[in-house]
Amino acid sequence: MAEQDSFLHLARPLGPVPVGAQPSTAPLNVAIQPQAIFSILDHSLRRPADQERVIGTLLGTRSEDGTEIEIRNCYAVPHTETAEQVEVDMDYQKQMLALHLRANPREVLVGWYATSSELNTFSALIQNFYGQQGDGTWPHPAVHLTVSTIPGQEIESRTYISAPIGVTAERAADSCLFIPVPHELKYGEAEKSGLEIIASAKDREDRSQPIITDLEALERAIEHVLDMLTRVSNYVNEVLDEEATPSSALGQFLMNALSLAPKVDAADIERDFNNHIQDVLVVSYLANTIRTQIDLSNRLATAALTMGTGDVPAADGLTSGGNNREDGENNNRGGRGGRGGGRGGGRGGGYKGRQQREQEA
Amino acid sequence: MADPLKNSPIKAVQVEALVLLKIIKHSSTTFPTPATGSLVGMDVNGTLEITNTFSFPAIDAPAQDNNNNNNHQDNTSSLAAAAPRAKANVAYQNEMIKFLREVNVDANNVGWYMSTNMGNFINLNTIENQFFYQKEMNERTVALIHDVGRSSQGALSLRAFRLSPAFMAAYKESKFTTENLQKSGFRYQDILVELPLVIHNSHLLTSYLHQLPSSIPKEELDFPPNIAALQVDPNTPHPPLFPNYDSLDLSIDPYLEKTCSLLLESIDNHHTELNNHQYYQRSLAREQAKITAWQQKRKAENAARAASKQTLLPEDEWQRLFKLPQEHSRLEVLLNSRQVEQYARQVDGFTASVSSKMFAVKSNLLPGE
Repeated sequence: MAEQDSFLHLARPLGPVPVGAQPSTAPLNVAIQPQAIFSILDHSLRRPADQERVIGTLLGTRSEDGTEIEIRNCYAVPHTETAEQVEVDMDYQKQMLALHLRANPREVLVGWYATSSELNTFSALIQNFYGQQGDGTWPHPAVHLTVSTIPGQEIESRTYISAPIGVTAERAADSCLFIPVPHELKYGEAEKSGLEIIASAKDREDRSQPIITDLEALERAIEHVLDMLTRVSNYVNEVLDEEATPSSALGQFLMNALSLAPKVDAADIERDFNNHIQDVLVVSYLANTIRTQIDLSNRLATAALTMGTGDVPAADGLTSGGNNREDGENNNRGGRGGRGGGRGGGRGGGYKGRQQREQEA
Repeated sequence: MADPLKNSPIKAVQVEALVLLKIIKHSSTTFPTPATGSLVGMDVNGTLEITNTFSFPAIDAPAQDNNNNNNHQDNTSSLAAAAPRAKANVAYQNEMIKFLREVNVDANNVGWYMSTNMGNFINLNTIENQFFYQKEMNERTVALIHDVGRSSQGALSLRAFRLSPAFMAAYKESKFTTENLQKSGFRYQDILVELPLVIHNSHLLTSYLHQLPSSIPKEELDFPPNIAALQVDPNTPHPPLFPNYDSLDLSIDPYLEKTCSLLLESIDNHHTELNNHQYYQRSLAREQAKITAWQQKRKAENAARAASKQTLLPEDEWQRLFKLPQEHSRLEVLLNSRQVEQYARQVDGFTASVSSKMFAVKSNLLPGE
């Protein structure tokens, strides 16, 4: 990530500026969601063997004043590049955009990406294509995201917007000024659990990770927390032994953290704990009882009939068949009675548990 | 059915990180309406590698008005859940795959995904979708189920399912009468086959992840002058992506409560189905009693005719005169039972983690007991 870069903010063409109004100099912020980056990396892996870089379209949302851009999605666009010319499959781009917009009507075209940090004439040409009037992002500037994927080097991402520069009319199409803008990787609460498992696979040889169960996740989190606690208490001990330099800020921070521990009466804790654990266990017990009852009811519904002789010709075996069916019905009734009891209990338990919880709250 | 995976053409499912994130994003934006989409990838020696995905177009629901009544919502969600087998979406999917092929993406459809809340996914819609895929497209397709509710509670919940061959055969003939079930010995546990699932990262992604939390500064840092400085210091580490400290959260009641109410709903369904069945049994018994009475009457009549040397009346006319009631399909009961099982296991899972957390908290607050 090119986070250490400093940025020069110039007055830039931010959408339709009424004549005479001051051009806005508010900084433009770009937030990138991880799946967009992941998708770009995937595309980079799938590029044709003879191609240095591949490009694609970025989709996302733009705030009303156009200063906040969130890149949410992207798709690859085939293009060919030689020393003399570049060809972008515009038809593909248009049709793919239409398909994507059908699935995600809230997203709009915001710009394009390339998988190399290089900015050249072709970049300017493509940038002007994406920023043009009509199919492009005009009146807003198109965002250009570069993600370098050179083997052996860090993956570096940069974002730019562009401004036209004054050159002769015939060179205007393939020249523009790329202005770097800050960007950040942003993920929401919902993606956290997904990123957790993806991140947990990063240190493994086979780069894969089976789905972890709740208990395993809990165990690992606890181990981590214990580890950190040991580190902190080591530091505190060293400060007490006058081996490490003390810091009043850190001390204050630790004090604040410690004071968060609730001061509750032991008896209260005991009581609340017992109530809660009983609720939880009752719910679990009843759920399993219900499961067994349902299983039983299913078995009875089908098992009862096998007591019959099976393939008796319909006309002859009718009376005996009738008897068998009645038997089955009786059995079914038995099953139902039992299940009904379980259900009533389950209900009562569930509601009782809820009431108790409300009392606690 | 000792090993349900033995006869399956797919032994395991491997999901790319990209696919996982795309599914999560799509599911969380459409929540609580189920999100559906198509999966592409390929099958390598029995492992189904899912390498990319795209979502199905949003359903053109009538503009959401303020009086969002239940009926309306049910309608939208059932429409959304039926999306994978809608005609328009099949066309959309084919077109998308055609375009993806041009940029070297594995252009084989390998299934579909759906988002759900608290494991509430075993219903006719899911079954029909998967049946549609497994029957027509190709045999090697899976359904990925992402549980939004459970994932927000801690560990990610993403599961891969297929319909069992026995269920496929039975569903094709749509024979779910009691008699057929007895003959085939089909149980509700055999409807779905769950496949083991792993998440897989590409090399490039692994290297990206390794540099994601910006590297720890090498030189010794100065102590911050005060707390405020500590909090804004860019060198203050952020909580890592892994392990996720959210799983330390103690509050479980909302999830348990939701599961309980879903469970109760299932039981009510079960009860209705049983009542239907009972009704059927009763009307069947009634009809049969009528037939028997008729037969006995006819027999007596024939005996009288035989005695008076008259021609006998046919004895199988009852088949025309009486009609036996149709038995309800037991598929609904089976699915419902499977759903209940799913909920019960879910409750078990919650209980297991929350009780250990609670004991930990208790012994922390009351040391020495």
